[in-house]
Amino acid sequence: MLQSPWSRIGMRNLGRNPKRTILTALGLAIGFFTSVVMVGWTQGLMNEMVDNATGLVGGQIEIHDAEFRPERSLYDTIGGRDGIDVDQVLAQVSDDDRIIAVAPRVYAGGLLSSGDSTVAGMLMGVDPEREVALSRFLDDLTAGRLPQPGRNELVVGTEMARQLESDIGDELVLVASGADGSMGNDLFTLVGTYRTGLVEIDSAFAVLPLEDLQALVVLDESRIHEIAVSTQDPWLAEEVAAAIAATLEGEALGTEVVPWSELNPAIVEYTALVDVFYYVIIVIVFGLAIFGVANTMLMATYERRREFAVMLAIGATPGGVVKSVLYEAAAMGLFSLALGVAITWPVMVWWHNAPPDLTGLVGDIEMMGSVVSLTMQVEYDMGFTTMVAVALMLTSLGSALYPAFRASRVPPADTLSGL
Amino acid sequence: MARIGRAHRLTGLLTLGCLATFGTASAQIDPLEIIDQVEQLYRGDSSRGTTTMQVVTENWDREITMEVWSLGDDYSLVRILAPAREAGTATLKADQDIYNYLPKVDRTIKMPASMMGGSWMGSHFTNDDLVQESRLINDYDIELSFDGDRDGIVVWEFTLVPKPEAAVVWGRIEYRVRQTDYMPLAVSYYDEDGELARSMEFSDFANMGGRVIPRLMMMRPADKPGEYTSMRYEDLEFDVDIDESFFSLRALQNPR
Repeated sequence: MLQSPWSRIGMRNLGRNPKRTILTALGLAIGFFTSVVMVGWTQGLMNEMVDNATGLVGGQIEIHDAEFRPERSLYDTIGGRDGIDVDQVLAQVSDDDRIIAVAPRVYAGGLLSSGDSTVAGMLMGVDPEREVALSRFLDDLTAGRLPQPGRNELVVGTEMARQLESDIGDELVLVASGADGSMGNDLFTLVGTYRTGLVEIDSAFAVLPLEDLQALVVLDESRIHEIAVSTQDPWLAEEVAAAIAATLEGEALGTEVVPWSELNPAIVEYTALVDVFYYVIIVIVFGLAIFGVANTMLMATYERRREFAVMLAIGATPGGVVKSVLYEAAAMGLFSLALGVAITWPVMVWWHNAPPDLTGLVGDIEMMGSVVSLTMQVEYDMGFTTMVAVALMLTSLGSALYPAFRASRVPPADTLSGL
Repeated sequence: MARIGRAHRLTGLLTLGCLATFGTASAQIDPLEIIDQVEQLYRGDSSRGTTTMQVVTENWDREITMEVWSLGDDYSLVRILAPAREAGTATLKADQDIYNYLPKVDRTIKMPASMMGGSWMGSHFTNDDLVQESRLINDYDIELSFDGDRDGIVVWEFTLVPKPEAAVVWGRIEYRVRQTDYMPLAVSYYDEDGELARSMEFSDFANMGGRVIPRLMMMRPADKPGEYTSMRYEDLEFDVDIDESFFSLRALQNPR
């Protein structure tokens, strides 16, 4: 490029009015910065949303009896009334490198009561060790510790604890319909509280060891309602689910293997919508920039009318003039891009590793069964960044098209005679 | 349990039947008046009885024997006698509230409002059925919808539609009453979409405690074919010597 006289002329003209060049380049560079950071931040939010929707409580894949959803009946356990060899099926399911953890669960609707307060809740029986490896909501208890099997202990969400006016160490009465029709009831000790930020979970889920819940609702130890699975990447869930389904097919347990994208399609749709929105950001940002740059280029070429007239008078072709202006625009684009990267890169690294935390201002935000916090963490996206770079170059070149055309049509004689 | 109470109260219908002069040519039937008189007859009654409840579901069936006390519309107490595992478990209805006493843990819990639609003791009756205090004539517009012969029995059928402002569960209730002695025969409950939700049948009319009552009540949910809850009176006495203190939380925990 630098070999051509036109490119040399174009490059040289960038230095003709350095202030103007820098201001124009800054406009484009800030456009680049805005697009990349906005999208990075949105992706950070989306990642957190997907991550929380799948990692906080649910897991990315759920395995149930085919009849379990949507009623979630106590009787619809995996493998029907006979149940399954839980350890064997867990081992079978987890035999996949993409799977991080699997955990068995038992659910039962019930009442929790303390003193004069009684609330209806969902009793969730878990294997505490496996559950901590799989989901995050029990990782950092707001108070106390995890329940231990065989000791009638449980943890509840902070909101449920508030409704029950209970603290760590208090006794709670649990009442739940047993699988034999009896009214199971027993005393449990509250040993911990958790908080997810999702009120519907914090106010509704009481977590206790699997075997204790099975005893309360008269379910055999082979009978569980769910195996939750977490994978390395939420977006792997669908293919891993298909693989698990294929594995379990041979067992003829009558199970369904459901990835989170099927359980929470709203998030998938929202993610797709946001992906489209990224392009809207590019169009808006560079759409604004293109007029600014075009104006500058138009002024710059107008100033150089005499120069173009001389060039044309001594035999330059209009195409050559167009080339020189476009080279100038390309050089401007590259300079802007370099400036943009120089501004954007440090900020991206900074906000990726130490994001400014705005949660103190607005708190957590609940969205579509998930929760996001305004930590402003940005995600890198090389694909999108490249697209923004291309958009910047196209903006620069596009905005020069009309000025270049005008420059090539300068009438040499009239211009040089001062008309 | 209001159904049980209602059954008690319906026993008064016999008296009404004797007093009433309505014939089958009942051109002058005033449904409101009939229902109102029926309800007036219930008031002030106290009773004690033993019932056997059989619950049959897709997944299990079981039989529970229980002792039932009632006082007027506001109070009732049910205490399980058998099976042994649940003996002593008791439900107290006092005004609008329901309390369950659980002998295993020696605690009493109050049923939260959100659970009032839930099953009572695993049966097809809801907690709400126990506290339902609404007087039909207050909450429903009542019309005579049929007057004639059904399966060889001369009956009236009343259609009850909730008044616009009434806070009730059902979209419509159909009530079938035997004309000869004013015994209830069947009640069908329809949801707001007009779909049959559940139906109750009364049978085995017998003299108990000096009154004729339907000894057997059978509740069938419409969406679960084959399932039912039956409630059968083994014995029943009226005007027993109990007062409000019998229906206290303390009495619930320390049965006499």
